[in-house]
Amino acid sequence: MTLEIKDLHAKIGDKEILKGLNLILEEGKVHAIMGPNGAGKSTLSKAIVGHYDVEVTQGDILYKNKSIIDMEAEERALEGIFLSFQHPVEIPGVNNAYFLRTALNAKRKHEGKEELNAAEFLRAMKGHLEALGMKSDMISRSLNEGFSGGEKKRNEILQMLILEPKVIILDEIDSGLDIDALRAVSEGINKMKDGKRSFLVITHYSRILDYIEPDYIHVLKEGKVVKTAGIELVEHLEEHGYDTIVEDAGL
Amino acid sequence: MKPDSLNLHALQDKSAEALAEVFGAKQPKSLLDKFSSLGLPSKKSEAYRYFDPEALLDKTYKRLAYVPREIREGEKLEIVNGVVITAPKNLRVYYGADSQVDSEHYDPLYFLGHILSPSVIIIEIDGDREIELLHRYTQSDTLIHYRIVIKNQSNRHATIYESFESEGAQGSLVLYGYDITVAQDSTLRIIKNQTINDDAYAMIASHHVQVEKQASIILKTFDFGNTSAIQLLKVDLGEHAHIDVGHLLYLSGKAKRGSISQIIHKGEHSSSVQEAKNILEGGSRGIFDALIRVEQTAKYTKTQQNSKSILLNEGTYMVAKPQLEIYIDELEASHGATTGQLDKKQLFYLQSRGISQQEAKKMLIIAFAKTLIERVKDTRHQEMIQESFERAFYGKRIDG
Repeated sequence: MTLEIKDLHAKIGDKEILKGLNLILEEGKVHAIMGPNGAGKSTLSKAIVGHYDVEVTQGDILYKNKSIIDMEAEERALEGIFLSFQHPVEIPGVNNAYFLRTALNAKRKHEGKEELNAAEFLRAMKGHLEALGMKSDMISRSLNEGFSGGEKKRNEILQMLILEPKVIILDEIDSGLDIDALRAVSEGINKMKDGKRSFLVITHYSRILDYIEPDYIHVLKEGKVVKTAGIELVEHLEEHGYDTIVEDAGL
Repeated sequence: MKPDSLNLHALQDKSAEALAEVFGAKQPKSLLDKFSSLGLPSKKSEAYRYFDPEALLDKTYKRLAYVPREIREGEKLEIVNGVVITAPKNLRVYYGADSQVDSEHYDPLYFLGHILSPSVIIIEIDGDREIELLHRYTQSDTLIHYRIVIKNQSNRHATIYESFESEGAQGSLVLYGYDITVAQDSTLRIIKNQTINDDAYAMIASHHVQVEKQASIILKTFDFGNTSAIQLLKVDLGEHAHIDVGHLLYLSGKAKRGSISQIIHKGEHSSSVQEAKNILEGGSRGIFDALIRVEQTAKYTKTQQNSKSILLNEGTYMVAKPQLEIYIDELEASHGATTGQLDKKQLFYLQSRGISQQEAKKMLIIAFAKTLIERVKDTRHQEMIQESFERAFYGKRIDG
C-alpha cells in the first residue's frame, strides 16, 4: 500500500467532518471517491495534504508506513503527495513558469538532483504543454490569473506532470470542463498511470471515470467510507442515488 | 544663531516679522506669513501627525553656502547637495528667482523650503525626452535644501527617472521639492526610485503640481529602506487634466515613511487614480494619508483611490487614510483600503507544491510589489527598480 488512513477524525472550526474514516490507497491503483455534498470528500483531501483549515483530532495517515500527520504541507509535497485543487487560487505577480520551476527545483533539490536552469526547464515543459493543449503564453502569465476554469484545471495537471508525485489526489478535476478539456485532462492523468502511482479521484460525475477507469469506487457518507466496490458501483449510484448505499451500510 | 547653522525648532511660534529678522528683510512677506500661520510641524500638526517630525526638526544642522557652479555637460542631470553639477545636452537648466509658489499649499515646510531657497533650480524640458535625475548627498549633519521648478512644453511627452545616492550624509536632513507645471496637452512622467538605509539621511520632500487643461502627470514612487522620510504632495487638476499616482513602500527597521497628498480637482472632466501598496516589517510605520477634493467647478470628475498593505509581523503599523471630499453630485468616485497579512490560500497553494514557507512568503511579497513595478514602461528602469526592491527585501530575514 502507498497510503493508509486509519480511523481519521478531523474537524474544520468546531465542526467534526471526518468521523472515523478508513481507507487504503494501493500502489498503482486508481481510487474514486464519490458521495453526497457535505460528506467530507474535500476535507479528506485537505487532511491528506496538511491544509491549515483541517484539524486532525484522532487517527492517523500513514504514507509508506510513516505517519505524516505532523508534517508540514511542503514536506508532504516533497515526499510525493499532490493535490489538484478544486478551486486553484490566482496569484497575480507570480509568473507561472517561475512558480513551476521553483516547485520542480525544490523537489529536485530534495531528491539530491541538480536544479534546472530556465532553458532546461522550458525544454522539459514543451511536450507537456502540447499534450495538454495549453498555449505557451499561459506559462508566461501570472499564476492562474485570468485563467478560465478549464485553463486552471489544465494548469493543475501540468504541475502534476512536472512534479511526478507518487500519490495524486484530484479534487473535482472534472468540474467546469468542456468535453475537449475533459479529454485533455484525462489523457494527462492516464499518462501518469504507470503501475506505481496511486490516484484518489474525487468526483460527482461518472463522465471522467469513463476516461480514467478506476480500480475502486468508495462511497463517502457523513465522514466515513461506507462502501467500497468496483466500477459497477457507479452505475448503481447513477440509477439509485446514495440513499440505498446508506441503507446497505446500515447507517 | 550662527549663520552657518540652523535649528529649525527655533523657528517655532515666530511671527512673520521675527522670521524676517532671521531670514532677511528681502524675503517675500507672503511666504513668511504662510509659514508663520501654519507653524513648524509637530505631532499635533494635521499633515504630520503620523510622522513625528520633532526629532528631525529639533536639531542644529550645518548650513551650506549655496553657490551655483558652472553646469557641466553630462549624461544625467546630477544635483549634489542641492547644487547642479551636470546636465544633459540640450536641457535648459539654470538658477532663477522663485516665482512659482502655491500660496494654498498645506505644508508649512513647503513654504520654509521656499524661504530657505529663494534661488531655485529651473528645468525647462522642450520636446519629447527622457531625463535621468540623480540627487546625491555627501554632507553629514547638514540641512540640505533646494527647490526645483519644472516646466514642459504643450503637446510634448517627457519622463524623468529620479534616483538618489548618498555617502557620508548621516544625520543630514534633506528638504527639497518640486513646483511643476504640466503644460496643456502634454504628459509628464516622474518615476522615483529611492532606498534609504541605516540613517543615511532623512528627507522631507514637499511638492506642488499644476496640471493644465488636457494634460497628464504620472507619478510613481518606489520607496524602500529602514530610514524615515516623508513626501508631501499637492496637485491641482485643470479641465480634462489627469493624474495617475502609484506608491510602493517597503519598510523595515524603525522607519516611518510614506506620502501625504492632496489632489484637488478644479476643472471639469478631470480624473485621478491613486494606488498605494505597502509592505511593512520590523517595527516600521507606513503612511498613506491621501485626500482627494472635488471642487464645485469640477463636474464630471472621475477619481479612484486604493491602498493595500501587508504587515509581515506584529509591531508594524500602517496608517492608510484614503479620503474623499466632494462638493458636487456629478462624478464617479471610489476609494478603499485594506491592511492584512499574506493571503493564507495563496501561501498554502505554493507550499502544497513543495515550496518552503519562507520561499513562498518571498514569492508573494515580491508578487505584491511587482504589480506596481511592472507598470514602469521602460524595461531598463523597471529592472533597476526591481533590483532596488529585491536588494532592500533580501537584506532582511522573513521569519518562517
